Formats: sequence, structure tokens, C-alpha cells
Amino acid sequence: MNVPAVVFLTVLSSILILDKYAIGEFGLSQPVIAGAIIGWLCGDLRTGILIGSVFQLIFLGGLPIGRDIPPDGPGAGMVAVGAYYLLRPGHPYETSLIVAAVLGLFASIAGGALEIMIRRNNEKLYHLFVRHENRFAVVHLGGVATAFVRGIMLFLPFYAIAALITRPFYIPAAAPDLLVVIALSVGLANAGYLFFKKRTIIYVLIGGLCGLALFVL
Amino acid sequence: MRLGFIRFIKLLIASLFIQSSWSFFSMQAMGFLFTLYQAFPDRARRQEIFRAHKGFFNTHPYMASYVIGAVVRAYDRGERSDEIIKFISVAQTSFAAIGDQLFWQAVRPSLLLAAVVIGMKVGSGFTGPLLFLILYNLFHLGHRAFGLWEGYRRGRDVIYLLKARRITIPQQTAECLGAFCAGILPFLGLVGPRSFLIIPLTALFLYLLIRRYSPVLIILIILVILSVSIIFMT
Repeated sequence: MNVPAVVFLTVLSSILILDKYAIGEFGLSQPVIAGAIIGWLCGDLRTGILIGSVFQLIFLGGLPIGRDIPPDGPGAGMVAVGAYYLLRPGHPYETSLIVAAVLGLFASIAGGALEIMIRRNNEKLYHLFVRHENRFAVVHLGGVATAFVRGIMLFLPFYAIAALITRPFYIPAAAPDLLVVIALSVGLANAGYLFFKKRTIIYVLIGGLCGLALFVL
Repeated sequence: MRLGFIRFIKLLIASLFIQSSWSFFSMQAMGFLFTLYQAFPDRARRQEIFRAHKGFFNTHPYMASYVIGAVVRAYDRGERSDEIIKFISVAQTSFAAIGDQLFWQAVRPSLLLAAVVIGMKVGSGFTGPLLFLILYNLFHLGHRAFGLWEGYRRGRDVIYLLKARRITIPQQTAECLGAFCAGILPFLGLVGPRSFLIIPLTALFLYLLIRRYSPVLIILIILVILSVSIIFMT
């Protein structure tokens, strides 16, 4: 098991996931952006962006409205990209990609559950805040620490699993194409749900023509 | 009293942390108080604010600055806390609804979709992600800064900004961009003999989304489709 790589990816992902809600929400934790950053740092930007794009399309419609906590799309994207780089040295491309994607999808469910847990835990911070009003800054910013801990709790087990998978197994060469097709279908469904309206149909058609032109060229 | 540059910067930076300690019980209440405290260094005023607003606060994180600006102005003018609470209870839900529509349902997904299209087809390297980061951050940081400024300048009348063109036009533009990118999307999938699967799978996922099935169920369905297809291929 490549311990330094697991530790590096866990810390990096836990820092990036702070952007999800704890600090700023600048978009750095979105799968396609985090995928590009992790991919660039691991020396394979292209695959990082590909996996990030796949997860971005799957989680495009996950809207954190009100009390609703959707599955953790940003966490899933980071797990998938990080797991790919941990699997790649000992496995063929197809195996690394598919196993990483499966780990990422499970991580999205685990991440959502962990987020609910951490946000319940933040209620304790609120009661501390009420009791110790003079320490408001420390208590409030304690939420950043809990978000970081949530990141460690999410990423460490998944990266450790990816690093522990050493036995090679067969995945068909066409499987990555299938993953892209599934992601595009979910992305298209999400985009349809969000953007398809009477007044935007013309833009869908123009986009379709541009897509066809790009494909032919 | 004036908002002043230093106070403005302190409020803007603090508002970036408004969701840090988000909980189901008080939601953004701590973040809201933390931000307001930056505008009022004296202890007596802070205690007054604490007593009035320690319960509950929740709005869209990017739109919170409009409410914060208006509340700081109200305290500067010496308005009563119960009047301010009334304003907050109306403003937080209105700005939350508009913020969700503008950012979560239009600007962010459309720019991300554009980044995916550029990343997968048109450009290479950091072009798509970088373009997203620049445009998205310019837009939301602009809104946050402008929100604080306008909130302080207009006071309670800031609520009339909800129908302003500077909010409706970006939303419509983002929806058009999203629709345009959605048109390109199917052609990114023409990679092999299984490309025809896009049509039935899109129909299936659209049905699940429209019927509001749980996102966890959708993820499990993706896993099942992937596993079954790989078994058949093997």
C-alpha cells in the first residue's frame, strides 16, 4: 500500500472539500475542477478531467436547497479521481477507471450520510456558542475543523481500499466508453430537467447543430 | 455612521464563512452573527445583536450579503431589534428562493456544463475548469460585494432588488447557455457501438428526476446498469 500517496490525497481532498460549504464556495470542490487539480498534481491532467467530467454530469442536478442534503457529488468526484491514481500503477486503464468510478459512487452515498452526521454535530457548536458568547469566533470557525474531519473520515477509507486492491481482475476494454455513455445520459437528463423550457429550445437545437459539426469535423 | 471600506472588507470576508457551522437546528445563525459582529466591535451592541438573532437564520449563502448590508444599516440608524427581526424573516426566504434559482439552478450548472463540454471535446488541459473558476467567482463575489453595498445603501428597500434585471438577465442567459451545452452533450458520447444507449438511458433518468425519485436510488441504478453491462460484455 502506497501510504504517502494515500495520506497526500486524503489531506488534499479534505482541504478541497472545505470549499463545498465551509469556506467561500468558490467552486473548487466541484468534480470537474477538483478532478483537474488532483489530476494535474498526480501528473495526468487529461484523465483527471475525464473522471471529473463524468462525476460532474452525474451530480449536476444535486441541489443543496434548504435542509435537503443530496449525495456528496464533490466528495464522490474526488474519491474517484484519487482512487484512479492509486489503482493505476498495478492495474490496466479500464480496471482502474471502473473500480475508481464504483468507489466514487459509493462514496457519494457515504458522504451524504457523513454530512448529515457532521451537521447534527454542529448543533453542539451552536449550544457552545450560546454559552460562551465571548468565544464566538473560535466556536463558529470550529465548523471548518468539523468539515475537515468529515473529509478525512470520508476519503481515508476509500483511498485505503483503492490502495489495498492489488489483485488484478478483468474488466472489458469497452467499459470506460459505457461509463461515459451512462454519465452523458444522466447529465443530459439533469440538463433537461434544469434548462429545457419553451424559450430555450432554440438554444438546444443550435447546440445540437454545433455538436454535430464538431463531431463531423 | 458610514459602512466604510475597512468595515466593508471585514464583512465581506466574514460572509465567506457564513455556512461554516451550518446545523439543522440553527442553520446559518452562527455565521450570520459572526458576520454581523465584524461590523460592531463594541460589546454592548454585540450583546444586543446576540440576544435578537441567536435563534435561526437561513438564506442563500451568496445572497446573505444583501440581508447583512441592510441589517448593519438598520443598527447604524438605531432601529429597534424587533423591527429588524421582522425584516429578516421576510428577506431571508425571498433571497433564498431567488438565490437558489439564480445560482444553484442556473449559473453554476450551466457554467459547469460548459466546463465539461470544453474539457471533454473542444479544449484541452485547464481551459474549461479555468474558465468556470474565473466566470463563476467573478459573478458570485461580485454579487456578494454588491449585495453588501446595496443592502447598506438601500436598507429595507433592498428587497425590491429581487426583481432587478441584474438578477433576472443572468439567470435567463445562464439557462440559454445550459440549453446550448445540453444540445452539444449527446455528440460527446458518440464514441463506440454503445452510443445508442444514450437515448433510452436519458429517458429513464429524466423520468426518475421528474418523478422526484431519491438521488440515492439513481446512484444505485447507475451502479446496477454498469455492473450488468460489464457482466454481459465479459
